[in-house]
Amino acid sequence: MTTAVLVHVVVSGLATGSIYALVAISLVIIYNATRTLNFAQGEMLMISTFVGFTAYQRLRLPLVVVLLVAVVAAAALGWAIERLIIRHAISATHFDVLILTLGVSLVLRAGAGLVWTHDEFPFPALFANRPVALGPVRVAPVSLGIIGASLALMLALYVFFAKTRLGRAMRAVAQNQRAARLMGISVERVYSASWMLAAVVGAVAGILIAPVIFLSSKMGLVAINGFIAAVLGGFGSMPGAVVGGMLLGVLENLAPLYLPSGIKYSVPFLLLIAILLVRPGGVVGRTVRRKV
Amino acid sequence: MRYHQAWVVALGALLAAAPAAAEPGVTDTEILIGGSNSFSGPLAFTGEQITKGGVELYLRVVNDAGGIHGRKVRTLWYDDAYRPQDAVANTKKLVEQDKVFAIIIPQGSPPVVATLDYLEEQKVPLLFPYQSSPVTRGKRWIFQGMTVSDRSSKMMIDYLAGRRKFKKFAALYQDDEYGKSFLTAFEKDLGRHGLKLGAAESVKRGVTDVSAQVAKLQATKPDVTFLVLVPGPAAQALKERQKIGWSDTLMVSTGPLTDERYLALAGEAAEGVEGLSLWPDPATSDRPGVKLYREHMQKYAPRNEPNRYSMAGYFAGMLFAEAAKRAGTNLTRESLIAALEGIKGWESGILPPLTIGPDHETQKQGFWVRVEKGRFKPVTDWLKGE
Repeated sequence: MTTAVLVHVVVSGLATGSIYALVAISLVIIYNATRTLNFAQGEMLMISTFVGFTAYQRLRLPLVVVLLVAVVAAAALGWAIERLIIRHAISATHFDVLILTLGVSLVLRAGAGLVWTHDEFPFPALFANRPVALGPVRVAPVSLGIIGASLALMLALYVFFAKTRLGRAMRAVAQNQRAARLMGISVERVYSASWMLAAVVGAVAGILIAPVIFLSSKMGLVAINGFIAAVLGGFGSMPGAVVGGMLLGVLENLAPLYLPSGIKYSVPFLLLIAILLVRPGGVVGRTVRRKV
Repeated sequence: MRYHQAWVVALGALLAAAPAAAEPGVTDTEILIGGSNSFSGPLAFTGEQITKGGVELYLRVVNDAGGIHGRKVRTLWYDDAYRPQDAVANTKKLVEQDKVFAIIIPQGSPPVVATLDYLEEQKVPLLFPYQSSPVTRGKRWIFQGMTVSDRSSKMMIDYLAGRRKFKKFAALYQDDEYGKSFLTAFEKDLGRHGLKLGAAESVKRGVTDVSAQVAKLQATKPDVTFLVLVPGPAAQALKERQKIGWSDTLMVSTGPLTDERYLALAGEAAEGVEGLSLWPDPATSDRPGVKLYREHMQKYAPRNEPNRYSMAGYFAGMLFAEAAKRAGTNLTRESLIAALEGIKGWESGILPPLTIGPDHETQKQGFWVRVEKGRFKPVTDWLKGE
């Protein structure tokens, strides 16, 4: 394989990896605040993208406004799911809540099928598809755009968690709920905020990836790789989620370049097993040693 | 003596009436047919269209005109979400509990294949399955719907290698029965022309990125690259080709892929792509049957838009109604099979005149198309698949 091909395949992998990373981050946000694994993340992403799409179709809004519509819809959906369903299961075990989110995901997918049908739709792209020359290599603006937008969002999240009161409150709750409550932080508000923030991150990922994998009721399946990315990075760590996502995206693309193409689909899992064997806490995560 | 005669007459009448009354799914006023199909899962849109959008559309026309020999046709569908095990359970339910007369237009090779032996054993007609693997061939109770892969392959290779003199071929295929049955057929037909398939890369349904596979194919420099995929991944492959600026290969879609959804998803990346079309253009063709199909859709389902899935279902409904009519008032599964086997030179106005031989195939042809300005433009007349 020539260098140009290699660069293209790696950049393409980084673009997909950015999406995995965003999904992983949204999973981690909810997990850190509530210790819940949100199996409905992919479907929430799908619904908000569909809402944005409907706004685009009906009102012919510019894409930036479409993105805003999707983000607002996502926040509302995230709030509603947490406030109306998950909050009522606050005393349930994590396993029960997990099943609850799985149920929500099925309902959302079936609901999307009723409203928008199970067809696939072409989604307008923010970035062009035709390659541009960048020195000796040619890259597609769409890949660079996805990577750039994702990195910008990650940076914004970093600032949010490091500098804002709400961000710090969310980190405090993640570390120790009781202590946070004693410090006067409303844990319930943090729960709500986490679900809304996760949904918003998911919506951005949805708008970015929809032109590539097309909009359909099944596009939420992309969240499976988001889960793997989160575990790869050490579940709970946001930098880990980013590294895990990128790593997964690139390796998933490199493997079929050198091996038979069927191998591509087992790569995420092989990688997961390999990393968990060597570093049980994930690439970035710390291993908590339990003393017996 | 009088009494005796009367008894004989009564008994005779009873015997004559009994088989008709006993035929599952058929009463004096109704024929019940149905099938397992995808109403959720990856092929939900297609499933919805071929059944409710297509078969039911034609049957409403038939029922409004008084039915078939006074019998209205009723349909019953169950969802298998493209899962073979669900397809088997649904089919058994349709046959044993609901007692349908025949199974019509189930979709997808894996679910359909899973029910073949059962239906043959139960002697239930399986009409026009919407899948392209030739495994349905040579069965007494099965009449294949969509043009099977080996016929498609023959038309495609004879046209590309024979008429157009292309030499180097590659394929991007879906990693399942659909993809593999085409791959096998391509290799065989290329062999007849003294050629072979230079490279083949597989893609799974619901894939997020096909850049590696496309890059590998490009490296082998094929004249022609076959796309044996479903619309989503195929459109992704076309966009990927645009991304890397790969222009010196002709992308060719197989029959099951050459459809409007694929075009819509790929957008401008589809320009210049060629393929084998199994159906005339549902939205623009002026063949009389297609025009009638559009009129009926306008009348009964104005919110739906013409597409080849609902047209395939409409055609299936039409062919069933034709056979049931020919089978006469005493409609049985046996007489339906005989009627179907007897169809010769039948004009549907949609496809070329149809003769169903002992091979039980109801669709054998296709024609060549090229995408120009977002539509399929016919390049050839109907090609020969025999």
